[in-house]
Amino acid sequence: MYIIEIENLRHRFSDGRLGLDRINLKIRAGAFVVVAGSNGSGKTTLIRHLNGLLLPTDGCVKVAGVSVKKDLLRARRLVGMMFQDADSQIVGETVYEDVAFGPENLRLDHNQIRERVVLALDAVGLKDFAEQRPHLLSGGEKRRLAIAGILAMEPKVIAFDEPFASLDYPGVKQVLKQILCLHQAGHTILVITHDLEKVLAHADRLIIMQKGKIIRDGVPDAIVGDIETFGVRAPCASHLGMEVRSWLN
Amino acid sequence: MAELTTFSFQPGTSLLHKLDVRFKLIFLILISLISLGGGFQGLGILTGLVTALIIHSRLPLKSGFKELRFFLVFLLLILGARMLTTPGAALIEIKSIVITRPGLMSGVLICWRLVIIALSGFLFVFTTPSSEIKAAVEWFLKPAAFIPGKRIAVMMGLIARFVPVILNQAKETAEAQRARCVENRKNPLYRLIRLGIPLIRRLFEQADKLIVAMEARCYSENRTDPALSATRIDWIALLIFILICGWILSN
Repeated sequence: MYIIEIENLRHRFSDGRLGLDRINLKIRAGAFVVVAGSNGSGKTTLIRHLNGLLLPTDGCVKVAGVSVKKDLLRARRLVGMMFQDADSQIVGETVYEDVAFGPENLRLDHNQIRERVVLALDAVGLKDFAEQRPHLLSGGEKRRLAIAGILAMEPKVIAFDEPFASLDYPGVKQVLKQILCLHQAGHTILVITHDLEKVLAHADRLIIMQKGKIIRDGVPDAIVGDIETFGVRAPCASHLGMEVRSWLN
Repeated sequence: MAELTTFSFQPGTSLLHKLDVRFKLIFLILISLISLGGGFQGLGILTGLVTALIIHSRLPLKSGFKELRFFLVFLLLILGARMLTTPGAALIEIKSIVITRPGLMSGVLICWRLVIIALSGFLFVFTTPSSEIKAAVEWFLKPAAFIPGKRIAVMMGLIARFVPVILNQAKETAEAQRARCVENRKNPLYRLIRLGIPLIRRLFEQADKLIVAMEARCYSENRTDPALSATRIDWIALLIFILICGWILSN
């Protein structure tokens, strides 16, 4: 079953630039997909169509069989999104309040909200930080808080936009571990990055974008060979003819 | 960012943290009204009350002094203006400058009132999450059908969320410019323009990011607000506070 179906998607920005050009893409439920490409290749524009933050100029985006355009709220509930700048995602004055933000918007009752927040904080290991001010958390903890905020909405798909940007090594490991846990729990994972080194070992599909188009799509090992011609650095291991290893080993 | 907001909400277990926000808002209004009309004796009682609450709720006054420096300068200006412009018996006379006794008294009184009101406000903000303040404002505006309470509450929530962002951006931009020796330029207008334009541009960018993040989490005006429930402690606190107010007014 495909959780995401994109047909002939085109997106033109208000200044006339073409952001996406005839994108056709189907993603199976439970997949772990990495979308890579150089800056301005259209990666972020693409994922913002999945929950209706951007709407297509032409074409159609469906999440779990329903057009995003027709039911924005459903799409936003089903597709959680973690942005590159975790600080800009924080809206609450405490960790608890921040995670409760999404369920409050869904107009759930107080008991349901409490239940979801506790579960989400538990899942990312921030249960003891519930009363902490979010801005005092470390970089890795802030990303985990952003993930908890998404989990509380109970999404099926989680899209991560540059989840490892400006994180130190322990921070990268924390976030990577969290992403893998979510994948094991049955979520469909999309990771947008231009830095394949940290995540490629876990992906079952790699998509390369350039100038708003998908130019490579397949099993990582099969297409990683020539990706440097598209402005994406291949992992060190593949340069040495070795298997790409996880950062968690 | 956190260091810029010493007087923002801090979770805690003090009595003020536990009280219903609507009652705290009523206390704040009453303290402000009584301060404005009260004399030295009344202000003395209110000062004692506010000081006890500051100690009890552990408001970080010491670290907050840096943030209060502009407020203290403002108070000094008020005091100076009152001392020099109020007619009456001269207390100190240096050439043509005359400081009068009534001027000094009224200056001290006004500054004292403002300090009490400001500290009460800080106590309120320090012990109340902005989401609760928002919910209380909405609750108080509900009877006025012609006022869009929900929208006002949402705007308040967004402002509260954005103030630390503005302060943080201003600090970062100012530091980046100091690193490039902006202090060598003595023209304050030049420096203001150089700081203001990039700051505003970055704030709009930040606002855009915040909006997108909020939209991604289904933000709408019709959302579940924090549950407001008055307990017996709230009513007892209100009764005690009204008695104190009555005592101050009767004196």
